[in-house]
Amino acid sequence: MASVEKALSLLKNLPRVNLGNLKPLPGRRGKKPDRRGQHGGKNRGFGDGANNLPRMGFEGGNVPFYRRMPVEPYYKDHAFRKQYPPLSLLQLQRLVDLGRIDTTEPIDLTTLCNTKVITVNPHLKHYGINLTDEGADIFEAKVNIEIQWTNEIAIAAIEKSGGTITTKFYDLQCIDAMVNPLLFFNRGIPIPRCKLPSMDVIEYYSDAKNRGYLADPELIRQARIELAQKMGYNLADPSQDPLYEMLTKRKDPRQIWFGLSPGWVVNLKHKTVLKPNDPELIEYYQS
Amino acid sequence: MRLPLFNSTSLIRLAFPKQCLQYGKPRLWFSTSTQLRQHAEGTDETSITDIEPQQTEQRNLPLVTSRKLQFPSKVAPKQAWLETLEQTEDDIIGIVDLHPEIFGLFPRKCVAYFRIDVLWWNVFWQREYRRVDYRQVKTRAEMPGGGRKPWQQKRTGRARHGSIRSPLWVKGGKSFGPRGPKSHFFMLPDNLRVLGLRTGLTVKYAQNNLHIVENLHLPSDDPTYLMNLVESKDWGLSVLFVDDTDYIDKNMAIATNEVKQYNVMPVYVWKPMKLFRIDESFLRLSSAAGLNVYSMLKHETLVLTLDALEKIEERLLQHVCNVDYRDKHFSLKAVGPRV
Repeated sequence: MASVEKALSLLKNLPRVNLGNLKPLPGRRGKKPDRRGQHGGKNRGFGDGANNLPRMGFEGGNVPFYRRMPVEPYYKDHAFRKQYPPLSLLQLQRLVDLGRIDTTEPIDLTTLCNTKVITVNPHLKHYGINLTDEGADIFEAKVNIEIQWTNEIAIAAIEKSGGTITTKFYDLQCIDAMVNPLLFFNRGIPIPRCKLPSMDVIEYYSDAKNRGYLADPELIRQARIELAQKMGYNLADPSQDPLYEMLTKRKDPRQIWFGLSPGWVVNLKHKTVLKPNDPELIEYYQS
Repeated sequence: MRLPLFNSTSLIRLAFPKQCLQYGKPRLWFSTSTQLRQHAEGTDETSITDIEPQQTEQRNLPLVTSRKLQFPSKVAPKQAWLETLEQTEDDIIGIVDLHPEIFGLFPRKCVAYFRIDVLWWNVFWQREYRRVDYRQVKTRAEMPGGGRKPWQQKRTGRARHGSIRSPLWVKGGKSFGPRGPKSHFFMLPDNLRVLGLRTGLTVKYAQNNLHIVENLHLPSDDPTYLMNLVESKDWGLSVLFVDDTDYIDKNMAIATNEVKQYNVMPVYVWKPMKLFRIDESFLRLSSAAGLNVYSMLKHETLVLTLDALEKIEERLLQHVCNVDYRDKHFSLKAVGPRV
């Protein structure tokens, strides 16, 4: 009876059996509660209990799964998303070749909109232009371009041909001003102070890989070299370039046009520029 | 620490190396009771350890190596050390056989085998059969007042009521409440009671909480001696001593009377006994009960004397193994003569 020995040896290592740890066998013991009163008995009024079950597929009042509309969340909050109308490198090269863009000056959103080829509408949440990489292999213009969204290949195409690129954020008020400056100046309101990027894009504009305008210039210089090594082209030394001044020209983060500062009012009729003298205004508009 | 038990007598040398070496040389292992009594009374000036072995009294060891079992089983008998309470060192004096039908039940969920729930049933029965429910609450008939209709049947806008002592009312009578002294007496079936005792003894043995002693004689009536003895043997906090008689050694009675968690109990009593003196060296027990499952499980350790062991096995095996006894309900005498 080795099994007895084995079982009893198991018992030896268990806690001591005492008055506190005894249990009866599982199962119901004792009396059932008295079911008294008018409806207390065994018989129910209407059929037996099974007839009162809800129908198959009933979800307790929810719309059941076979009648539920499928949810497609791809366009959720589309009215609030930032839109960037595309501009390909092929289009940019064509504009340059046709003389619609002067490459001896820095290119920004106003330059592109003045070509009347690209439409940017701030009422459609257009936060600027997305420079796409289509035509990257034939792009050869040497430009200093400021763009709102781009990708790595487009950056490489610009820099390979000796140009420079910056991504800069503009809020919708600034976009409205830059799309049609003439209309804006006729309103007679001061040039807006460009806001900082919102939280969803501040990472993008702080990254040197995207040539963000908030990134460290030293990191941008390293990123240019890294990208050249990655894509396999020789990066020309910009300091030796005769267009060095133009190529390294950058706006202030609060500035939206070269030569004009936020807070100024441009009077086209009298061809004057009004600048604020109030120290509070100066403090507000300073970078 | 206890050594593992061996079936072979030759292995006893492992347990008694010192004794076996001195086997040829007679040696005293027990002091005479007179010496110890003198020592306890203070008339003897020597301490227990100073008592020199005397050649007059000697016991060959081991005293007990086997025992004749009634209704011998095919299963090998269980074994336990035989110990003595008269000294704290070298207290093992032999090995006794235990009947496997009593001390080695097979643990499984089946009728007439080791079951924890049988212990539960026995404890439940012992608690329940003596319980009397004295709770009693008054019905609406026994409450004072309530004969008058509190308000008219109709046109009051209130619910219709006929008595302020209706069970629906606050401070009304209670319907189907507990009524009077109610006995919860019932008898657990004989087989379950016997099985409970067998299971309890098996559990105690399997968990190393069962010890066999030669007798309950103590050299001193000082409770500290007994407490030190229990502590040196690692018997735990509470000990139940069981003898086959309802009178015990005077020292044992006095010592256990002082310590609440040490109790003495006979195997079986026919009627309640009061503690009174019957002899110079023996006292009657005041216990009203014999060995039972509740007391077994209440104490950590169960200590049986050799005589108690004989008695327990005899009584339980009579139920388990004796066909005549088992079938007495179906005998001619029980059924009655045929007409």
